[in-house]
Amino acid sequence: MKSLHVEGDTFLHRLPPGVKLAALAAVSLLLFLLHSPLLLAVAAITALVFYAMLRLGWHNSWQRMRMILLTIILICAFTLVINSPMDAAAVFFRLVALTLFAATITATTSTGDFIEIVTKAARPLEKTGLVRASDIGLAIGLVIRFVPEVLGRYQAIRDAHHARGLKPKALTLAVPLIILTLRNADEIAAAIDARGIRGQK
Amino acid sequence: MDIRFEQAEARFEGRTVLHPLTLSLCERRIGVIGLNGSGKTTFARMINGLVLPAAGRVTVNGFETSKDGDQVRALAGFIFQNPQNQIVLPILKEDIALGLSTRNLPKAEKEAAVSGILARFGIGHLTDRRVHELSGGELQLAALASVLVTKPDILIMDEPTNQLDLRNRALVERTIHNLDENIIVISHDLDLIAGFDRVLLFHEGRLAADGLPAETMTRYREIAA
Amino acid sequence: MSTRDLVLAALFAAIIVALGLVPPISLGFIPVPVTAQSLGVMLAGVILGAKRGGFAVFLVLILVAIGLPVLSGYRGGLATFLSTTGGYLVGWFFAAVVTGYCSEHFVDRSQSGIVQITGFFLAALIGGVVVDHMLGILWLPVVTNMTLAQAFLGDLLFVPGDVLKALIAALAGRAVMVGYPLLPQRA
Repeated sequence: MKSLHVEGDTFLHRLPPGVKLAALAAVSLLLFLLHSPLLLAVAAITALVFYAMLRLGWHNSWQRMRMILLTIILICAFTLVINSPMDAAAVFFRLVALTLFAATITATTSTGDFIEIVTKAARPLEKTGLVRASDIGLAIGLVIRFVPEVLGRYQAIRDAHHARGLKPKALTLAVPLIILTLRNADEIAAAIDARGIRGQK
Repeated sequence: MDIRFEQAEARFEGRTVLHPLTLSLCERRIGVIGLNGSGKTTFARMINGLVLPAAGRVTVNGFETSKDGDQVRALAGFIFQNPQNQIVLPILKEDIALGLSTRNLPKAEKEAAVSGILARFGIGHLTDRRVHELSGGELQLAALASVLVTKPDILIMDEPTNQLDLRNRALVERTIHNLDENIIVISHDLDLIAGFDRVLLFHEGRLAADGLPAETMTRYREIAA
Repeated sequence: MSTRDLVLAALFAAIIVALGLVPPISLGFIPVPVTAQSLGVMLAGVILGAKRGGFAVFLVLILVAIGLPVLSGYRGGLATFLSTTGGYLVGWFFAAVVTGYCSEHFVDRSQSGIVQITGFFLAALIGGVVVDHMLGILWLPVVTNMTLAQAFLGDLLFVPGDVLKALIAALAGRAVMVGYPLLPQRA
């Protein structure tokens, strides 16, 4: 699974991830409070300038963001009909600015850095007894590790449907997928405990 | 190595899976055989504390499994049947390093330990590979590496070649024979344990035979017939 | 959280991710194929319960936040949280927890099949439709210039599809409970 992280050495890449996330939060808040289409347009252009520093090119960018852009256009069309052109413009620039700022932060922060931040943020939550901070990194690793297996299993189940002349439907696909996948949980958990990875008891 | 079962008994949902057993293990190569449901897997899992005795006790080099779980697991590594279920992180070297994560080692030392153990099993070239691209045999060797990187005294293996094709089976078998550690192997593959020092046969939750491979396997064939 | 529960949650998160990576599937009752990811969220609650189901969805949201394109349509990254559908996305977590909580309290093994399916269906409806859509609707006026009323009306379009998904989640939940009896309902 390819991450949306983009290799590079811009000043954005070199900023500490905590700073970038805080900045994104602050900028987002500002954008929610602004209503003037002119100011929002300025914000959108600023965001575009930052995004352009990634040098992703049109094709790549379109690949990454076409779904979000489609949604934005739909919402703006809706706003145009229901409200006014000024409103639609404000919505358009606000959403574009949010999207580009956020996409830039995502692209300039590595997966490892993100996991570190999430783990740090989870430490205070350890007191609630719900989850341990170190478990989050392990859990994320587990998910990424097993997605290809689940996909393979899904394909096999689809193939089995075709071999039997059945049309693949959500119910008949989901049930075997879930059972076959979850059945491994015991052995995986035993392997983790046998290696003493979670360092308990 | 000094493993002792002292009237150790295992139960599951009210049923006795392993009747009170007393024995000690110190041989370098020990095989465990028996029909499915005979209690052999439970026996193996009681050694490293994955299954705790309902009565009696199990000790490994003096440490009791119910009380000193951490020490026992540091002494005895465990390899499971399904190679897929033992590697838990997406990139091989990260998973191997995971076993060292609870120890405070400098990064360089960790990396050296990881490359060392992968090279030892001939899979050094797979260090940066994504785990789902590996074959069953490579995964089982990776599992060996992941467990042995912490240098346990004892290695317990529950049907390690069961899910492998012929070529991968040969590869893993060769590797097992060359291990320095004390090994206890559960296997349906009687060829694998033919040269071992001692073989235990379980049947219906009890030890039915215990001795040299030839004698025990003869008894196994009688029971299985 | 026991290792087993952690692994169950992580495996289910992998299932939810996979459901976003595969092409849309047919629900069976209607001929139009739909993306199954939100179905996966309801299933997490129904099958794993509140704690493990919630953790599974939480893991998926972390993966999205980290920048992995695991949302259907190859979407991911922080932008998805700030977009118009951000409310629905964050709502997934609460949907799984509420669906899980309701499942744990409405359904138990001693009931007949029909009662179990009804219980799961109600749980999936309350969590996956009511709670998730409510959060989705509340978020829309924040990012766009819609009013709550307009957002509510727009949302109604998606309710029938999700009600169908809730039904499938209920049927699947019962089938998994029968087919995999070793899975305890409660974490």
